[in-house]
Amino acid sequence: MSDTLPALKPPSHRVERRAILLWTLYALIWGISVVGALVALYVFLPATRPWIHPFLWILPPIYLLYLTRVPYWRYRVHRWEITDEAVYALSGWIVREWRIVPISRIQSIDVKKGPLQSRLRLATLKISTAAASEGGISIIGLDADVAERCSDRLTDLTQMVPGDAT
Amino acid sequence: MTAVAVDDAGWQRLNSRVAWVDLAKMVVTFIPSVVAAVVFDQGLQAWPVFIVTGLGVVSSVLDLKRWMHTRYRVGADRMEIRKGWLVRRYRSVPRDRIRTVDTSAKLRHRLAGLRVVHISSGEARTSFKLDALESRAAERLRADLLGVGRAAETAETPEAEETVLARLRASWFVYNIVSVWAFLVSGLLLLSAYLTMQTFGVDLREVIERAVDWRSLGLGWTIVVATAGCFVLGTFGMALNYLREKANFRLVRTRTEGGTALLTRQGMFRIREVYRDDRRLRGVAISEPLLSRWLRLAETEVVSTGLSWTPGSDAAAAILPRTSVAEARRVAALVLGDEHRPLDAPLRRHPRSALRRRLVWACYVPGVPAALLAWLGATGAVPGWVWAVPAGLVPVACLLAVVAYHSLGHAVAGPYLVMRSGLIRRTTVVLQSRGVIGWGVRQSLLQRRLGLATLRVQTAAGNRHYEVPDIAAGEAAAFAHAATPVILAPILAEGAAEAVTDPQPDGQEAQIAHDPAHG
Repeated sequence: MSDTLPALKPPSHRVERRAILLWTLYALIWGISVVGALVALYVFLPATRPWIHPFLWILPPIYLLYLTRVPYWRYRVHRWEITDEAVYALSGWIVREWRIVPISRIQSIDVKKGPLQSRLRLATLKISTAAASEGGISIIGLDADVAERCSDRLTDLTQMVPGDAT
Repeated sequence: MTAVAVDDAGWQRLNSRVAWVDLAKMVVTFIPSVVAAVVFDQGLQAWPVFIVTGLGVVSSVLDLKRWMHTRYRVGADRMEIRKGWLVRRYRSVPRDRIRTVDTSAKLRHRLAGLRVVHISSGEARTSFKLDALESRAAERLRADLLGVGRAAETAETPEAEETVLARLRASWFVYNIVSVWAFLVSGLLLLSAYLTMQTFGVDLREVIERAVDWRSLGLGWTIVVATAGCFVLGTFGMALNYLREKANFRLVRTRTEGGTALLTRQGMFRIREVYRDDRRLRGVAISEPLLSRWLRLAETEVVSTGLSWTPGSDAAAAILPRTSVAEARRVAALVLGDEHRPLDAPLRRHPRSALRRRLVWACYVPGVPAALLAWLGATGAVPGWVWAVPAGLVPVACLLAVVAYHSLGHAVAGPYLVMRSGLIRRTTVVLQSRGVIGWGVRQSLLQRRLGLATLRVQTAAGNRHYEVPDIAAGEAAAFAHAATPVILAPILAEGAAEAVTDPQPDGQEAQIAHDPAHG
């Protein structure tokens, strides 16, 4: 199955391989909190046991599949590129999403590093425009230095464009 | 209150007639109480009327205090206001952020020759409300802030600088008052009439019961008469409201210092004027609600940046009341005002698989609950016939799927994108390609199997994004490229550029005529 729409090149760069580890850790944290909640219910509220039983059978295989497959799947899909004109990114796993933001329309640039990300020297580059808040681009799993350099370059480029970018 | 101590020059008061209006209002609020107490001799039983009077007096006094404590100043680079009596406030907004200056006037303002001025910047809410200025002063302030109508001030006839795009037509009256909302309006009218009459010792319920011999009518006719009565009453209420709001309606393009603006003027007692700067105009949207589509009725809005919800009942974006589709298209073409006529461009139809996707959903959404209920019915948890209810919805949903499919269409016409979609409201959006500030393409698993994708156009204007659902996956890039070639060119696949540079529909059967006869 190809990752491209016909007529659209895939963005040129993959994200860092370490991002697989990041996504796996996220999935683990999620899994631990859900299992913890279910176990707590099972132990402290015996009345809920008949309801929890089926979940204990269904959830673990789905979760194991998610934990082992989806981070790789994401890594295979996620790609990004900064051309002279635009920031271009592809993300998702079941639902894929291509995003293109012209550099001349960028309103703000953020580099975000959570505690897990900084341990892995990763960062998320966030580009926003004057459209709705979900209208920008988030590139997850960039190398922290690369993200900083991209942010600097984009800041320089956007400052050369006059007007209010709407 | 430290910020104001800097400079005390140039502060202005609201017009002094506001104080007289407040005194008059106070006198008027006494009338119902006097009438109830003296004429009808109701005494303390009429307490709701006394409460109304009390509230009226309090609001008049507060309004008087507000007038006494409000000062505003228009400086070279900013506009400032000081107000408040118990809580003092100071606010300042840079002048080049100010985007709209609207005026409105209630009956009491008009009688006194006053106008309320609403000044907005890019914020969601009105930045300043000056209640009220003398009408010529309001006009001058607007001219000062926006550079609007300065010519109109000197010229004797302001009409000379304006091009009329649309005037109120008698036929619109019917389009706007016949609606299912009539029942809600009549309900509210009856409730308020009932409560009002009760304070005067009249029981409205008894009056209606005595007016007609309901028992001889029988249940069926009673329902018919009551429904018809409510509808007529509600329609009457809507008609009055429509006349009050839309009387003297006129849409004009007027000259301003920095260019032109669209201006709506409407209202019988309370005149409302809304300016929309043409520099911020990015397109138009015509929407046709499902229930009135067979009557060929449409609502028209501009797609513009920085238009917030201004005071009054309508969004500032709405430029026409409900009209015929033909009229909506005519006015929209005038608003866009160039030779490209994007609304007449033939729309490219979406692939058949888009219909298949809709039919799949139309079967699954009611089908899954039906199967679930059938299983529960077999185990005896719910009555055995319940599954038939969602199952019966499948044909309806399939019909709606076909309707939804037929509203899909897109085109690139010169510097415009044209996108049409929507089931409940079929909306045709015309967007200038310079208004595009981002592209998104989404593809789910089912869409990938069917060779479809959903294209999303990001913009700073109107809804902030517009969608082209279920476009053929190969065409998504072509559409984006035709609109913003510079941005798309570096990321197009090799060899795709030739296929993409021709945005024309490739076959006659792939087109739908987009004129009023078929659109």
